[in-house]
Amino acid sequence: MSDNNSLKTQKLIIGLFSILLLVVLIIVAGVEMKLSRKPEVIVDISGDNKRCVTCHTEKGIALKAIDHWKQSLHAQQNISCTDCHTAKKGDFDAFYCPESDFLVAKHPTPKDCAECHAQQVDEFADSKHAHQFWLIKNADRSIFENPISTKHGCEQCHAIGNVWPDQSVGECDACHPKHTFSKAVARQPETCGECHVGPDHPHIEIYLESKHGNIFRSQEKKLDLNFSSKDGKPIPIDIPVCTTCHMDGNETQPMTHNVSARLAWESQAAWSFRTVWMADKLGDWKMKRSRMEDICKSCHSPEFVDSYLLTADLTNLQYNEIRRLMVGWNKKLTEKGIIKRLEKDGKFYSDVLLNGWDEVPEILMYHAWHHEGRRFRHGAEMMGADYTQWHGIWELQHDMVEMFTFAAEHGDPEAKKWVESTDPIKFAPYALYDIPGNAFGINVLSNTVPYVYKAYPDYWDRIKANVEKAYQNNVLTQNQFAFWIKRFENKEHYIGTKYKADSVMKKYTDLDSIDTKAFTKEAVQLELPGKPFWNW
Amino acid sequence: MNAKIRMWFEDRIPFNREKTAETTKELLNEPIPKHMKNWFYALGVTPLILFCFMVVTGIMLTFYYIPSPEKAFDSVRYITEEVSMGFWIRGIHRWASNLMVIAIFLHVIRVFFTRGYRKPRELNWILGILMLGATFTLCFTGYSLVNNQLSYWASTVGTNMIKEIPLIGPSVLALLRGGENVTANTLTRFYNLHILIMPALLFVLIGLHMLLVRLHGVAKLEDDDKEETYPFFPEHFYHGLVIMFLLLTLISALTVILPPGLGEPADPTVTPAHIKPEWYFFAVYSLLKFIPLQAGIILIMALVIAATFWPFIDEWIRKKKPNLKTHYVVGSLTIIIFLFFTVYEILVH
Repeated sequence: MSDNNSLKTQKLIIGLFSILLLVVLIIVAGVEMKLSRKPEVIVDISGDNKRCVTCHTEKGIALKAIDHWKQSLHAQQNISCTDCHTAKKGDFDAFYCPESDFLVAKHPTPKDCAECHAQQVDEFADSKHAHQFWLIKNADRSIFENPISTKHGCEQCHAIGNVWPDQSVGECDACHPKHTFSKAVARQPETCGECHVGPDHPHIEIYLESKHGNIFRSQEKKLDLNFSSKDGKPIPIDIPVCTTCHMDGNETQPMTHNVSARLAWESQAAWSFRTVWMADKLGDWKMKRSRMEDICKSCHSPEFVDSYLLTADLTNLQYNEIRRLMVGWNKKLTEKGIIKRLEKDGKFYSDVLLNGWDEVPEILMYHAWHHEGRRFRHGAEMMGADYTQWHGIWELQHDMVEMFTFAAEHGDPEAKKWVESTDPIKFAPYALYDIPGNAFGINVLSNTVPYVYKAYPDYWDRIKANVEKAYQNNVLTQNQFAFWIKRFENKEHYIGTKYKADSVMKKYTDLDSIDTKAFTKEAVQLELPGKPFWNW
Repeated sequence: MNAKIRMWFEDRIPFNREKTAETTKELLNEPIPKHMKNWFYALGVTPLILFCFMVVTGIMLTFYYIPSPEKAFDSVRYITEEVSMGFWIRGIHRWASNLMVIAIFLHVIRVFFTRGYRKPRELNWILGILMLGATFTLCFTGYSLVNNQLSYWASTVGTNMIKEIPLIGPSVLALLRGGENVTANTLTRFYNLHILIMPALLFVLIGLHMLLVRLHGVAKLEDDDKEETYPFFPEHFYHGLVIMFLLLTLISALTVILPPGLGEPADPTVTPAHIKPEWYFFAVYSLLKFIPLQAGIILIMALVIAATFWPFIDEWIRKKKPNLKTHYVVGSLTIIIFLFFTVYEILVH
């Protein structure tokens, strides 16, 4: 009897504990396994913050803001509501929370962020992101756009340089969205693309068109953009996003929130000019360029970087010559009274160098700067070939043709002469820049195509004189000029005329003539038996 | 022709066929007490099956895993995200390790409450404790190999504890870490421990454990010496086979529903806000939060020694007080305390 009891007790105990352990431990293991899939976010909400969170949760106010904060590094490090939303009596944004006696700051400003992130806030304030040029210059444009349109228009993007009543400048959450303040979101190219998009500066489109953007898209799912680049470590991602070149650090460059620190051109401006922004802190444009080159050379060979950037520099200089033409003709047409400036009470509202919204040449000049002129230059700087080509020079040339046509129609004899001319060189009524070959390789025969190469034996000598002048004008460095001369002296190699590829070319010439025959037969020579319905 | 080939091999591998066949038959006909027909009594084979899963998947993981601090995390990420069926292989390895710990616990409970360790099987109990130690070492080193933030810091804190072992602590720590801190040396040492030394040790221990089981015969139930027996093959063998397939299904399901994650890559310069070990160490980890580290280490060592020599301690107590069922009290308390701290740790996180 006692034996049986003992056996039963054993079975009972073993059964109970086995099931208990099995169930509890599998649940524990499962919970832990699930946790292993997301970064461990442990949020300690206590004290006053607990009151904020509890009350907001109960009342259902800004719940997502709390959820977002819980995902943030701030939350993990116990930086909570009151750390950023703290206010003193008399602060411009102070208000009493209606449910408590807390004095709350409605708008945490860069001054608040600077409590912990002083370096980043200072760097930002020294950058062109913080520059409210639109309040200082060029306000004439506000006559063309009515105020309500600008609230959710230009003001929304330019709020990144907000000047706050507490004297601080900037809007950190323009890139680090509240309340996660995520580094990964700030690095996502679309974040920059919120503003750097559209006809006037399609940087996100240019980036996505470039090899950089294309590789980014193909690798995107594997990339973790949530990293720190402060410690002089190699760039941890294999392809650059916007911040990689403009802000993040590598082994040689420190991370910076000053997006102007690595820019050598003011290529958004009406005229391209070498940057002088904050020269006392950031150095001259050559210093800024060398910073950018340090980043480029993380991935690219020096030869490629030199040739790519020099070509982009010459594109910027070429733009100035087109700009010179557009401005010169607008001035001339204004002086002749063919077009008129906006004026009231003796004050002009359409600065001839920038504005003018009601007459064709003015509109063309504006677009040739603000839209196609920028696309032309920025495409060249950021590997967006289509933006330099079809959205750039092609439209610039059209602006020019339309402007001459307008002037000819309004009786200008020079414009008339241009319009009536049948000389193919009429499309280059301005000085040219060029470089033998390109950054990517040698393409046999391709550089025999440009009309000017064939028609003007002194072409390269004219170009050389212009490039030399640019060097003397200090917009190209000595090294760049030497690099250009090296190519100039060996140009048959770089433009590919030194090499023969006759048999290869014959193959494609033959194929091309088969194409020509085909469309001639299928389309050009086709006569349909049914007559047209309109008689000429 | 067949005979010729057979002869060729028999000349070169001279073993006694009749004797071998007899031994095999004897092995297969090992008498098993009738109570073993209850599925609870197949729990001894469960850890073995899981260990075999881990050997197979572990070998596969070594095809891609790179034990260097720069590449370890990325190679695990590669296995998980890019290698065909990599997530499954890694998931099986990880889940099998979790289940192996649970299965061992269940096996221990069964042996403990039935007093399967009683004379003459004390040595086999000690072998079991050694195997438990080897399993925990495998778990600890395996977790560290992922080299993410949590595992890096868990291995830092975990090895720090070793320092507190009296006398030999600092030397063992230096030997394990290969220097002052957790570095590339530590990772390669852990790798060696994980894929070579510990599995080899465990193989030997399993061999000895099973050898002793066969030599003694399976323990009969206490107070039931006249129990009937049945042969090992086929019924008990099939129990094992069924358990193997059940486990494979269960683990695959768990891997699909709750696949192991990757975490953040290890960063020795940033200490995470909260460091925690794998769940089976929660109880010890929790205990150490409440008492000073050195006292805690000494207490844990005392408990390990007591557990190792429990068969003798139990016998000694029985001689003094024959009617006291000490093992019920000790076993129940241990389980309840262990579960309490484990669940407590999960809840406070």
